[in-house]
Amino acid sequence: MIRRAVDRIIQLTVLGAMITLPAALSAQDVDAVFRTPDRPSLNFYGTPGLMDMPSGEALPDGQFVVGVSNFGGQTRTTVTFQALPRVSASFRYSGVKGLDIDGRDTYRDRSFDVRFLLNRESRYLPAVTLGLQDFAGTGIFAGEFVAATKSFTTTGLPGNIRATVGLGWGRLGSSGSIGSPFGSARPSYDVSSTGGDLSTDQWFRGPAAPFAGLEWQINDKWGLKAEYSSDAYVVEQDDGVFTRDSRFNFGAEYQVSDAIRIGGYYMYGSEIGVNLQMQLNPKRPLSVLRFPAPRPYDIRPARRDNPQAYSGDWAASQTGASNAVRDALIPLLAAEGLVLVETKTSASTTEVRYSNERYMATAVSVGRVARAMARVLPASVETFRIVPVVDNLAQSAIVLRRSDLEALEVHPNATDALLAVAGIDSVAPTLPGGARNEELFPVFNWSLAPFLEQSYFDPNEPVRVDGGVRLNMSYRPAPGWTVAGELRHRLFGNVADSDRESNSVLPRVRTNSVLYAQASDTTLRNLYVNRQWKPAPDVYARMTAGYLERMFGGVSAELLWKPVASRLALGVEANYVKQRDFNQAFGFQDYSVATGHASAYYEFDNGFVGQLDVGRYLAGDVGATVTLEREFNNGWKVGGFFTLTDVSADDFGEGSFDKGITLSIPINWFVGRPDRRTVGTTIRPIQRDGGARLNVPARLYDQVRDGHRNALVGNWSGVWE
Amino acid sequence: MMGRITRLVAVVIAAAFLVACTSENTNQQNLAKLIGGTLKQGVDSQRAGRQPKVVVTPKMLSETTVAALQVNPEIAGGSDFLRRVASRSDSLPGQVEIWKSSDNALIFLRNGVVVGTRGVGADIISADAALTVRALKNRAPASGLREYIVSDGDVTTTRMRFRCTINAVGNEKITVVNQTFDAIHMRETCIGGAVGDLRIENDYWVQANTGLVRKSRQWVGPVSGYFELVLLKS
Repeated sequence: MIRRAVDRIIQLTVLGAMITLPAALSAQDVDAVFRTPDRPSLNFYGTPGLMDMPSGEALPDGQFVVGVSNFGGQTRTTVTFQALPRVSASFRYSGVKGLDIDGRDTYRDRSFDVRFLLNRESRYLPAVTLGLQDFAGTGIFAGEFVAATKSFTTTGLPGNIRATVGLGWGRLGSSGSIGSPFGSARPSYDVSSTGGDLSTDQWFRGPAAPFAGLEWQINDKWGLKAEYSSDAYVVEQDDGVFTRDSRFNFGAEYQVSDAIRIGGYYMYGSEIGVNLQMQLNPKRPLSVLRFPAPRPYDIRPARRDNPQAYSGDWAASQTGASNAVRDALIPLLAAEGLVLVETKTSASTTEVRYSNERYMATAVSVGRVARAMARVLPASVETFRIVPVVDNLAQSAIVLRRSDLEALEVHPNATDALLAVAGIDSVAPTLPGGARNEELFPVFNWSLAPFLEQSYFDPNEPVRVDGGVRLNMSYRPAPGWTVAGELRHRLFGNVADSDRESNSVLPRVRTNSVLYAQASDTTLRNLYVNRQWKPAPDVYARMTAGYLERMFGGVSAELLWKPVASRLALGVEANYVKQRDFNQAFGFQDYSVATGHASAYYEFDNGFVGQLDVGRYLAGDVGATVTLEREFNNGWKVGGFFTLTDVSADDFGEGSFDKGITLSIPINWFVGRPDRRTVGTTIRPIQRDGGARLNVPARLYDQVRDGHRNALVGNWSGVWE
Repeated sequence: MMGRITRLVAVVIAAAFLVACTSENTNQQNLAKLIGGTLKQGVDSQRAGRQPKVVVTPKMLSETTVAALQVNPEIAGGSDFLRRVASRSDSLPGQVEIWKSSDNALIFLRNGVVVGTRGVGADIISADAALTVRALKNRAPASGLREYIVSDGDVTTTRMRFRCTINAVGNEKITVVNQTFDAIHMRETCIGGAVGDLRIENDYWVQANTGLVRKSRQWVGPVSGYFELVLLKS
């Protein structure tokens, strides 16, 4: 179990993603190329558009794109996510070489965009998008626009032409203005602001200017673009970043694969530009997941042919029968990567509790358990109760009638028909009188693996990386008990080279990370005792004590209420922690704090999960965190969060408040083989001390949920796979 | 800038060479290695090109004592010989036979019509074949709706609805190894799919005297494309 806590999120750098993704992408099935020819191409800001100008189009729902562009000394790396069919959000990290704003030779900036599709393209009407670019923060790229795009096919020309016209404000209204329709009072760019506030006072204010462009997609591979830009690059011209000799930009793009498009451009009459566009859709796995085919269901003989087979005499001694079933099932489940925990049987009903170490989708393991049961259980057993267990937490009981399984395997509507007759019920914490798998405890696990750890957005070195080896060990003496630890040894890296000293006026609970990196190459990442159990069928509990994370150690307790079929879950967590020594050995510093939260979780429609945490943070500040994540049924998660506390924007420092984006991708999405692990990362534009939460290993909500109704239903076809 | 990139690339490559070890064999693989493996497979399969179909000799056939189905996947290439592992009757027309390949994939055939696959990848989870089974049985034209539930390759599914027409192409003689059969060639043309623009075409050769689908070429999903199925021995 601890391995899950430790390994589930393997930190994959943005850099790593960029290096490994194209390699993996190019291995895609050739026949799968161009499965979505209708998706728009991207501009230099990593959003649908031409070159510097946006278009009126939106990406397909769920699309996840990464754009990297460069021209005239400006590099922009953007991640855009089409969160809803009509709403997309982008996060961008830019560097402008030669722009002297903060005394450095390259000015670096983080910005967020949001776009709304107002009208979907129809036969006569264009697609219309309203966008806010760099709408919060220090705002050097701030601009608003309305753009309309219509596509045409003409008989004279091959391919497809898309024409765009738009009206821009801010940066997008700085050249060729036609006046200020919504007022001229636009505050100018303020470099000293801490950023992070919504710049509502400047949206659509000041001069507006039209822009336009044409995109000609000649065939599946090649496209040409031309645009009339309304961006004067005022600040950049003043500092001589590049010379803007023209308002016109031209370019050619080549679609390398379904995911990758590259472009070369001639920008503003003076500069050469390049743009790398990567588009993925979480709903379309890079490699098709191939499971070894399950064994066809073993069908019982008809009762009238063999009435003795249905006799329940074999279960006269419940203990004896349960033990026999246990012994028969252990090897069958092991062959499927499943571990039998406990089983109990009567002549008509058998309950199997098991843990799943192979399949991301719990439903797949449920189907495999059912097949193993059908293979060994006498014909008199009609009810299967299948209970996935995650480290002593029984998640739910999936109750299936054996005759339904037998009848529906080859039914035209097998998946829905089985779901209609399946019960997904809450389950008692323990199984009194069950036959336990005695081999399970105690168990000792270890692993030795490389690690990479990143630090982003240092203005002197945007990506810093440390690498080395880590040793993970865990010991589980009894159900629900874990003793675990991780030892790291750094072999190389430059995180400690940073000269960014904390200037925080709050207790330095997170901004001392450079001091932690500098203190030692060999560190004890964590070492703790964890106990988790279920006090009641819908209630889960956890107690953890020890060196919980890199910077804090102490005690932590959590209680979670999450009924199997409920969209709502409620939890409380209380911690008392002390700051660890920088060398991450056994010592502590003087700072200690009581921190904790009351949390509400809610599963919305369309796979959105919201979380609200209200409580006290590490620096002693009081406030709330709002998290919204879109979860795809295959395990992809993309989300964002922000925290507001009683710390003022000035005391918080740069960024004004804590916020960030999260990304988590199941490994089986890349490799096409069953695997429970995920890769993921949390990116904060800046990490300060306000609104900082303790990192506790093995929080309950995510442990419990993949065996609950919503997750099971989302992957229900897996019961048959 | 260039030096920095080189350094970072070196870091990533170095990490890929650090091999992870563990007390458990099942669940601990290095991501770089996994992705590398996928890439290698892709490259290898491209280099190797498509495997040719296996030609069955009369001797091979005479030595086969159990029911055998030859499957020739068109996209993947090569051939496999499947044996029958189960058969099922239910309230729907036709009988379902489950055939198992040498690499443990399964194909479900309802009177010779594909209604499911397992372990192939992006499998057909289920399909309704009542229209086709009836038309092949009567050897008469028919038209109507068919539905496939197809895996997206990530434990989610897409329901694909098709409007299908089945017509007799004509009487043909087909040869299976050294045996020749009189057969009626039926063709099923379907238009539909997830967004309605997918066209599929299934061909069936129904043996005149027994009514068995002796040979067919059938769609098995958007990723696998078409399989040719030849019933060597029933």
